[in-house]
Parts: sequence; C-alpha cells; structure tokens
Amino acid sequence: MRHRSRLVNVLERAESGPIMKEADFERRLVTPAIKKAVETYGIEFDDSTLVPNDDDLADRIFQAGLEVAAETGMFCQDTSRRIAFTRRELEEGLRFCPGEVTMGAGTDAVVARAREPEVAERPILVGGAYGVPFPEDLFVPVMLSFAKESVVDVIENATLETVYGKPIKAASPWEVIGGWREAELSMEVIGRAGRPGMCIGCVETSPTALAEISASSWGGFRPTDWHHVSTVSELKTNYDLLAKVAHINRIGGVMESYYNPIYGGYVGGAEGVAVAVVAGSILMNQVTMAHTISTRPDHPFLGCNTTPELMWAMSVGVQALSRNTNLLVGTLVGPAGGPGTRTVLYELAAYALSMTVSGVAVLEASHTAGGAVPRHVSGLEAKMCGEVMRATSGMSRAEANELVMRLNSIYGPDLETKPIGKPFEEVYDVVNVEPTSEWRGLYDEVWDELVDMGVPLDALV
Amino acid sequence: MSTYEELVGDMVDVLLGDDPDEVVTWAESVLEGGVAAVDFFNKVFTPAMAQIGDKFAALDIFLPELIDSAERAQAISKDVLEPIFEAEDSGAQISRGTIVICTVQGDLHDIGKNMVSLMLQVNGFDVIDMGINVPPRLALDKAKEVDADILGLSALMTTSQPYMKECVELRDGFGMKDQFAIIVGGAPITAEYTAQIGADAFGKSAVEAVEKCFALMEER
Repeated sequence: MRHRSRLVNVLERAESGPIMKEADFERRLVTPAIKKAVETYGIEFDDSTLVPNDDDLADRIFQAGLEVAAETGMFCQDTSRRIAFTRRELEEGLRFCPGEVTMGAGTDAVVARAREPEVAERPILVGGAYGVPFPEDLFVPVMLSFAKESVVDVIENATLETVYGKPIKAASPWEVIGGWREAELSMEVIGRAGRPGMCIGCVETSPTALAEISASSWGGFRPTDWHHVSTVSELKTNYDLLAKVAHINRIGGVMESYYNPIYGGYVGGAEGVAVAVVAGSILMNQVTMAHTISTRPDHPFLGCNTTPELMWAMSVGVQALSRNTNLLVGTLVGPAGGPGTRTVLYELAAYALSMTVSGVAVLEASHTAGGAVPRHVSGLEAKMCGEVMRATSGMSRAEANELVMRLNSIYGPDLETKPIGKPFEEVYDVVNVEPTSEWRGLYDEVWDELVDMGVPLDALV
Repeated sequence: MSTYEELVGDMVDVLLGDDPDEVVTWAESVLEGGVAAVDFFNKVFTPAMAQIGDKFAALDIFLPELIDSAERAQAISKDVLEPIFEAEDSGAQISRGTIVICTVQGDLHDIGKNMVSLMLQVNGFDVIDMGINVPPRLALDKAKEVDADILGLSALMTTSQPYMKECVELRDGFGMKDQFAIIVGGAPITAEYTAQIGADAFGKSAVEAVEKCFALMEER
C-alpha cells in the first residue's frame, strides 16, 4: 500500500529524532504549542453552538493543528526521542492518505470513504463493546447483540476479563492466549450472525504487541479485520505500538489508529482538545500509516465525551479534518449514561447527529457508561447511533445544531450523576440475544420522541 | 496587615500568575510583615493549596496550571518554610506523609496518575512518582527504601490489574503490610476489585484519591 511505504523511515526517526524527557515533551512542548496555536488562530469555544456552522473556524483549527503537529512530532517512550516531520512532509502524507478502504470480505465487506460536512453519503457504523470488560461466558452474547443489528457495518470487540477462567496479564503468555481466545470467540459471533466476512475490530486484549502479533496470524484475525494501534496521550507512542504497526503493515491488514486527548489535561480546554484532535490525527497518519484515524476525547472526571465542551471540540475538530483532508476520520462516542437509561439514548442521538453532519467517515458506538464499567454496554446503543446517522446524513449543520442543543439540554443535567444503568445481562435476554421488553420499550419511546423533534428516523429510504 | 483570608486569595493569585519567581519573594514579604511561619503554613499555605485543588476538580484550571502551582508551592515550602522550621526546631510538620506512586507493569498511561500525583502534592504530601510500567518488586522496594506511608498504584487497562494484585500479595508475603498502605485507582478499578485483592483503599478520581490518602494517614 502506497501510504505505508515510510515504515522504515518512521522507525529510523524513532531512533534518531531529538532527545527529550517524556515529561518535558508534554509540558514544555505540547502544552505551549497548543496554547500558542489557539491564540494565534483566535479559536474560542462557544457553548451556544455545539455544532458550529463556520467553515473559517474549522479551517483555522486545521491550520493550528497542522502547526502543532509539525512543532511537536510524536514522542517515542522507549527511545525518549521525538519522531519529527516537517510541515511539508506532513502535508505530503495527507495528500497520499488512503481516502477509502474496504473493511471485511465478500458480501459482508463495506467501504469507508472520506466525507465532508453535510454530505448525503453516510458514514460506516462500527458497533461494539469497545474494550468494556466482559466475562468469557458473556462475550459472544454481547458481541452478537451488535453483529445482529442491520445498521452495524463492523463490530468492535469487548475486552475479555479472563481466559479459561484465569486473569489476562499484560506482556505475559496469558496475553497471547487471551488474544487467540478473542479471535475464536469473534469468529463464533460473526458465524452465528450469518455475516462470516464481517470486519472485526481487534485485537482488543492486546496491551502490548504480543496478542496482536500472535492472534493476527493464520487461523486467527484476518487482514480484512480492523487492527488497532493506539497512541498514548498526549501524542506518544512506543515500541509495542510501533511493533503492531510493523506487523499489520506486513500482513497487509486494515489498520485503525486512535488518540484520546484528555480535556483539562496537557492540551487544556475545549479549544485545545479541538486542535489536539487535528494534530494527533495528522501525526497518526504520518507515524502509523493507518487507514482510519479515530479519536475519543475524554473528560477527566466524568469519563464521557458528551459534555458541551467536548461536543463542540469534536464537531469542529472533525470539520477541520473532513474539510481539509481525505483522512478516514472516526470518532467513538463515550456517553456517561448506561444501558437501560434514557440519558444514554439522548447522548447517543446528539453525538451521532453532530458527527454525521461534521463529516466523520466512521462512526463508532459505544463506550457506554464511559467505557470502563464492566458489562455496561449493549447492542441497542449502536443501533440508536446507526439509525440517527442514516436519517441525518445530508442534514445541514445549522439544523443539526438546533437538535443537538435541545438534546443536550435534556441529558446535560444527568452527566454529573453518571447514570450507569444496568449490566448487559439485565437489559438483554442473553440466550436469544434480544433486548428485554423494558429496554426495547425505552428505546422505542425515545425513538418516537426524536421523530417528534424532527429527526427523520421514520423515513423509509 | 491583610487578613488570612486575603492572604489566601493573594497566594492563589501568585500560584496562578504569570511570574513563577514571584512566589518566594511574596511569601518572604508576608513573613517579614509579621505573620509567623507556622500560622502562614496552617492558615495561608494549606487553604490556598486546597483552593487550587478545588479549582482543578471543577476544571476552572487545567493540568498545566496545576503543575505550575505545585512547583511554586514546593518552592515556598523548600526555600522559605523548611529553613525556618529547621532553625526554630519547632517540630512543625510540612509534609502530610510520603507517597510512592506509579502506573503498574504493562501499562504506559500516565495522565491519570499524574493528576493524582499533583493533587496529592498540592494537598501537602511528599510524592515520589516512579512513572509508568513499574514492576511490583520495584514499586515495593522503593516504598520500603523511602519509608513510604502509602503506595499508590494506577492501571488503565484490565490486563495490568493482575500486577496490582501481585503487588499486594508480595507486600503482605514479605511482611510489609504494617509498613505502608496500598491505594489503587484507574478506569477499570472498582471498590469490589480493591477488596478482592486486599488493597487498603480505592480512589475513583483524583479528588477522591486525596480524600482516601488523608483517611489512610489518620488510620496510621
């Protein structure tokens, strides 16, 4: 693949780039660079417009992010060096980024394409438990709850709490066995769903490179699956992550790289998060050479990304990227609410609306209940995102903003209480993998409410 | 002379101000104005730092400002207060306790741990931050070496949780249970898990971690 030809160059720069302490990288380089860029480009958070309709603002944020990316580069924790690129190199990397990618195989394959704000072509939907810890006996039911939903194009795995009843320990043989078990169970999921070629987000249980490299080989996860390479906040990588890059590169796998800036952390407030989303995405494209580039900013205390500050930052950050690049931008929703609550459905609807009209190529759902509460996620959350996404592709940002503002006023007061709801096994019949009548009933009520608000979920085409 | 309440406000201002060098001269001028060092520590320094912690908890300030404040407060403590207390041999305690903190083996995330570390510092603890990916034996050795009161362990990934358990087991197995407490935290950590592995406390946020460390110190 043409966009991956710089692998050796990236690895060489990890060995030869400017040396600095990790703490200094964030504090002396990233923080000042973002502060300066926010000031230079006059970027200001506006809590009255969570889905801005301001192309100039989006373009300024893009320029700010590009400047930060060129100034900081990405830090390699193992070598204490910056993997640095010139602005011209970063721009060339963007010019030759994939622009589209086929995910999955055969009749189950889907194509993700770069989008722009307000376009009618819909994003693809990844539905899954996104690393939420699950016991082995519930892994197949919860993942099947996503794979069964027609709106879901790609599934994304839960994290196994144990393998054969034993804890999975990072960087140990347990990690290898855990990765393989995840692959076996995933194949069972897509087989039972009747979607054998469906793309699977993997290897979720791979804190180091061990599980990815072992389980993404013959008999395990396939090159057509969606292989993950994270970064470490803020803007850092390491040998384990680069080893994953090298492996996925050589097996010709579809790759996702993601970066989760922390609101209130080294990047600062909403404005800094928006700039960091752009800078991080540009750097991930350059360093990991991933097909899809995802982000999931995080609130440090609430654990969600549906607060007004983060809704704004995500919308303008995605608009900046989708207007100025062909990157396949993905975003993962992290609602504070959990399964079985109305709150989560309002949060998901608002987020899906905002991201769809902002130009996201891949919508990802869901980090329900902040993504960290064991067993607190279910397929219906992805269904809500998918239905809203399909219904609102092509909607104007101005119209979307009105709806998002209304939804935010409904769910906003609940965020502080973190209504985590119920675990999967209490909102789904785990044998037949169907939502309980109570959870489905709540879904239908909110669905009707959204239609009344003006979200055209009831359109048949 | 300003009231203590006004001095607290002034100290917050200099901690968050543009001039990092101002804090020491400001503190010296307050003491020269007639405020006793021990009163300054108890009635100005400590409440001002608590206000800084509260501001971060409310996200009125962000991590870079919290770091700046912690460093400036440390300068007041080391350059102004400690020399006076030592000279007076007053027995006054600046430190509320010693805490060794780290992200456990297999996990390279540090922002959450850094936030806890800073919140502990602004609340008067001496914090030794061992960084990320720290094996259980190294963490225990450091806690023993510095005679720590508390060992704080952070993990963002479930696959690093077994190393927390190992840490508690090794501490107890080597007969160090009474020497220092262990507090755990991080996104996947729960109170149930904490009890299950036999750790002494669990902080679900940076703010709660500080509260729990105060409670652990009272128990000691």
